[in-house]
Amino acid sequence: MTAATQASHRPVKPRRSRAIYASIAVFLVITLLSVSERWGIGLDIGGLIEDIGNGEVILRQLLNPNWAFLPRVVDPLIETFQIAIIAAFIGCAIALPISFLASRTTVPNRLTLTVSRGILSVVRAIPDFLYALIFVAAVGIGPLGGILALILFNIGVVAKLLSETVDGVDTGPIEAVDAGGSNRTQMVRWAVLPQVLPNYVAFSLYAFELNVRASAVLGFVGAGGIGFLLRVQYQFLKWENVSVIIICLFFIVVLIELVSIRLRRRLV
Amino acid sequence: MIKFEHASVTYPGGVHALKNLTLEIPDGQMIVIVGLSGAGKSTLIRAVNGLVPLTDGDCIVDGVSVRGASTRQMRELRSHIGMIFQTFNLVKRTSVLNNVLMGRLHETSTWRSLLGWYKPEDVEIAMRALERVDIIEKAYVRAANLSGGQQQRVGIARALAQEPNTLLADEPVASLDSPTSHVVMRDLQRINRELGITTIINLHFLDLAKVYGERIIGLRDGELVYDGTGEQADENVFRDIYGRSLTADDVMGAAQTEPATISA
Repeated sequence: MTAATQASHRPVKPRRSRAIYASIAVFLVITLLSVSERWGIGLDIGGLIEDIGNGEVILRQLLNPNWAFLPRVVDPLIETFQIAIIAAFIGCAIALPISFLASRTTVPNRLTLTVSRGILSVVRAIPDFLYALIFVAAVGIGPLGGILALILFNIGVVAKLLSETVDGVDTGPIEAVDAGGSNRTQMVRWAVLPQVLPNYVAFSLYAFELNVRASAVLGFVGAGGIGFLLRVQYQFLKWENVSVIIICLFFIVVLIELVSIRLRRRLV
Repeated sequence: MIKFEHASVTYPGGVHALKNLTLEIPDGQMIVIVGLSGAGKSTLIRAVNGLVPLTDGDCIVDGVSVRGASTRQMRELRSHIGMIFQTFNLVKRTSVLNNVLMGRLHETSTWRSLLGWYKPEDVEIAMRALERVDIIEKAYVRAANLSGGQQQRVGIARALAQEPNTLLADEPVASLDSPTSHVVMRDLQRINRELGITTIINLHFLDLAKVYGERIIGLRDGELVYDGTGEQADENVFRDIYGRSLTADDVMGAAQTEPATISA
């Protein structure tokens, strides 16, 4: 046994990079500074304990949904669903070609790549809420503003996720199709698209789900859907009605999730 | 006719993969390139269809300079050159027929290929290519569900669907077991003889090279060190190409299934 250990020169276990410890330390310091009295956001832990009972009334009303309110929820909910599906459809359709323009697998040209990725970063940096504010100001109160806001939001999300998927595809088929003398569009259509199609469907369903959730917020600025109703009930402190809206949204999101799991399983 | 004229390839890292190669390959020849990994076999094959650009000298394919070709000329040139790969390079998530139809993309307009509306005559060519490698019954099966040998035959069918005058095969049997390798090599030999397609194959198994190579080219460190027939290539020749004595790893071993064809 000693002979064996002498014979083999086992490599020394490499030491873990210090960068990890340094970044954990920096993260901890920033967190501590943020809650500190002098530099922080003025977090008052005492207030949390003193006022915790105030939430009790709201919580009790939330736990007792007013089901008589349900019929008034149906129409705005359908509108939300329609806004979400129209925006997801258009947004994802636009995102598909853009994501091929933003991947180094399909675009070897550095300039094109930098420009398309730059535009995508800008599109994604603007929050959906801000898009809604801008479009409602531009086209007036109603679902159209919401649809336009969500289209841009979906382009940002889906193009980002899909271009990263395209970065990781098997490049073998690309070489094969290139070797056959086809052009770039044909290469993308036949060597790349089939590889990322299941991911694309999954991302699109995810975008649709995000839209249903986002509509709760977008309605606050008048971009149509269930959010407007939510805002009114919240302003009149009708928590038992708010509760019904939240439960309905919850069921729709879960339903979409179930459908998308099934679809993905059939596609992959 | 493929002519290398003082062709050299230096990769960006400074590696000289091909050094001042001059070589002439007449139409219809079946030629095998041997050499250790890193000797420049893959580079030589990819220089023919421009997948690897030459950094010096030129390669002339049917009178067209690969080095001077425009994008359009390069696509035209490539459409006549079929290519087969070690890892098959099929799109595994789509059907066998769709993979073979990729060999017809050059003859298909962009809008047709976007919609997948191949012309009936192109589908017919793809079907005939599948029949030629005897795998037509798998036309509508997903490529992922095929065995390695079957996938390589689909790879050959894809190249044949181009109706090429030249076939490049980069280590076509390196991922396959011995009997399957012989099946694939015999397919390539048959295609070469029946259709008169110039065939250039990279191999690292010496016995396969001797059996199937009408002509053998030996590469060492990017330089041509042997050019002769398969019969002439004895152990000494291979030892010279490899720059070391031969080992059992350098031969694949006989095909147990049909030994008779080795004499072919």
